[in-house]
Amino acid sequence: MRKTLSILALAVIGYYLIVTMSAIPFGQDRMNPDVAKVYLTEGVPKTGSVNIVTAIVVNFRGFDTLGEVTVLFLAATGLGAMLYDKRGKRRPRTEASPVVRVGARILFPLIVLLGAYVFVHGHLTPGGGFPGGVIIATGFLLMYMAYRSYDVSHWGLSITESLAGMIFVSIGLLGLIYGQSFLYNFLPPGVPNTIFSAGVIPLIYIAIGLKVGSELTGVIDNMMETIR
Amino acid sequence: MPLLTLGFNLYLVISLIPKALKKPIIVVIAGWKPPVGINLTIGPLGIFLALIITSVAFLVAIYSIWYIKVEPKEKYCMLCLMLVTGSLGMVLTGDIFNMFVFMEITSISAYALTGFIRDRDGSEAAFKYLMIGSLGSNFVLLGILLIYVGTGTLNMADIAAKMPTMDPKLAVMAVILMVVGLGIESEMFPLNGWAPDAYSMAPSPIGAIFGAIVVKGAVYALARMIYTIFDFHSLFYFLVIMGIITLLIAEMSALRQKQVKRMLAFSSIGQMGMILVALGLGTLGGIVAGLFQILNHAILKALLFLAAGYLVYHSGSKNIEDMDGMGRKTPLTALAFSVGAFGIIGLPPLNGFWSKFLIISETVKAHYMLIAALILLGSVIEAVYYLRVVGRLFFKPAGQNIQAEQLPLSGLISMGVLVIAAIVIGLYPNWVMALLHPAARELFDKQFYIHSVLGTF
Repeated sequence: MRKTLSILALAVIGYYLIVTMSAIPFGQDRMNPDVAKVYLTEGVPKTGSVNIVTAIVVNFRGFDTLGEVTVLFLAATGLGAMLYDKRGKRRPRTEASPVVRVGARILFPLIVLLGAYVFVHGHLTPGGGFPGGVIIATGFLLMYMAYRSYDVSHWGLSITESLAGMIFVSIGLLGLIYGQSFLYNFLPPGVPNTIFSAGVIPLIYIAIGLKVGSELTGVIDNMMETIR
Repeated sequence: MPLLTLGFNLYLVISLIPKALKKPIIVVIAGWKPPVGINLTIGPLGIFLALIITSVAFLVAIYSIWYIKVEPKEKYCMLCLMLVTGSLGMVLTGDIFNMFVFMEITSISAYALTGFIRDRDGSEAAFKYLMIGSLGSNFVLLGILLIYVGTGTLNMADIAAKMPTMDPKLAVMAVILMVVGLGIESEMFPLNGWAPDAYSMAPSPIGAIFGAIVVKGAVYALARMIYTIFDFHSLFYFLVIMGIITLLIAEMSALRQKQVKRMLAFSSIGQMGMILVALGLGTLGGIVAGLFQILNHAILKALLFLAAGYLVYHSGSKNIEDMDGMGRKTPLTALAFSVGAFGIIGLPPLNGFWSKFLIISETVKAHYMLIAALILLGSVIEAVYYLRVVGRLFFKPAGQNIQAEQLPLSGLISMGVLVIAAIVIGLYPNWVMALLHPAARELFDKQFYIHSVLGTF
């Protein structure tokens, strides 16, 4: 009875969702709403970032990005608080095969490099701080899986994480001092399509990349089993 | 550290009150004026809620100094601070997606704090809250998506101005998604399954924060949706009906509870139901009454949870029946608890009386006689279970396991300030009205809000 009812309820909700979604005019020119127009017409000349998504994420809606970084940070911290164990020792993991070990050693620097590339070029190519940081964290995950006693320095992780977060906020505050408002892009936009362009956007993305990378590595580290 | 931060925060909020009352302060972020960029809108309503949030958070921080003994303490402080940040952001932001981000900040710290005492029940409550809460967040996000599709903007004032041009099909679905999503956070029936567990399993200061801060942010967002953004009058009836059902079911559940914190949690849900009824009346007086109740509920419920924390601590048990006779051994805590209980019931010299009186009289004015009668019925049930606890505290012989009271200074200060606030507001309700009326007008007068955000540029 309960199952039938829930399926019925789901079907009704799904039906109405489909009806609504079909009312969304996908694929049509919806440039007349002014906000999107401003993004597309003023985005490149004002911010200097050719990747307009980056311009929106870091400049137009940079405050949201600060919030999202905080959300990730909170999730990592919350996990750390809930899995907190003072005396816990790591349970030795199973040894990976030599292929994985050698491969990991070769791939690890390349993965980190790719991650760094992705966040440094966030204002030029698709990508940016979040994906770059995630790529770096996957490199650390690979190392954890390949070696039995691999351990990232907690001190280093928390220092990177806090410094990166502080850099983001400090850039925002500098915008308040040298520009008009918090997170204001106070550096010159520069020549679009070159690496030194888009003012503070690349700096913020580098900070985000480091922060996301160290946070997710910390999450992986926290999830490793401990012996009680 | 959290004390310093929150103290500064409180100072900032108080110093901003006269300015915000005169004219809403619009803070532009990243140099892009609304509606292109994100803005913070610090109007009378925002500053009123910010004042509640920061002052309760400050008192809870004082209380937490000696109460929290579970490691890691620095993470506890950080999560608390972020919880306050998120709620403040929610009530001050003028951008609908930014509101969602702040809601996420609030709820994720709330999930972590629910499970902060890492026992079995706490983890279960945290998991339950996480599941239901994420569902709510997703609904809100989907609603925001539909609003953006329909209006092409994320700024609340701009959305409000463009709402008449939105496709009604999209608007209806968006409003449903938003109300369901925010209803989960604001404990509306039947979406409040997370609340009793989360309240009772989290550390006591966190229970106070949930009741006084987290839920307030959500109910503000709900009110903002209904009054400023959407223009559906049938929503008002929906709110009144859901509110009264929430109230009655929660009060009846509270009557049956054996654990004191669970009882407080259900009572908190009931209070939220009453606030929803007041906000759903759709009149200026109703909003004033609802906001007044928000204020009083924050003060009283924080007081009750803080006092209950010590009651549980000294009796070594969460059950009400193990607290017999604590009024003799722990007089100050029991007194604080009783003040909170009498305030919630609405005994005249305390602040709870005025808001309850206002809500009932506004309900009668709006010709909802049945609803008014049901609110009174809820109050009677409320009186029964609160008086039962107070009676047990003072008029039963003391049990064996109760330790004598050793109230640290921090607990004394925080509960003392709340008791004084409850009494002072009860004696001089007109002082609060000076802040309440402009706040209610901001919510009621849509054109004023639109104009103050967009018109100044």
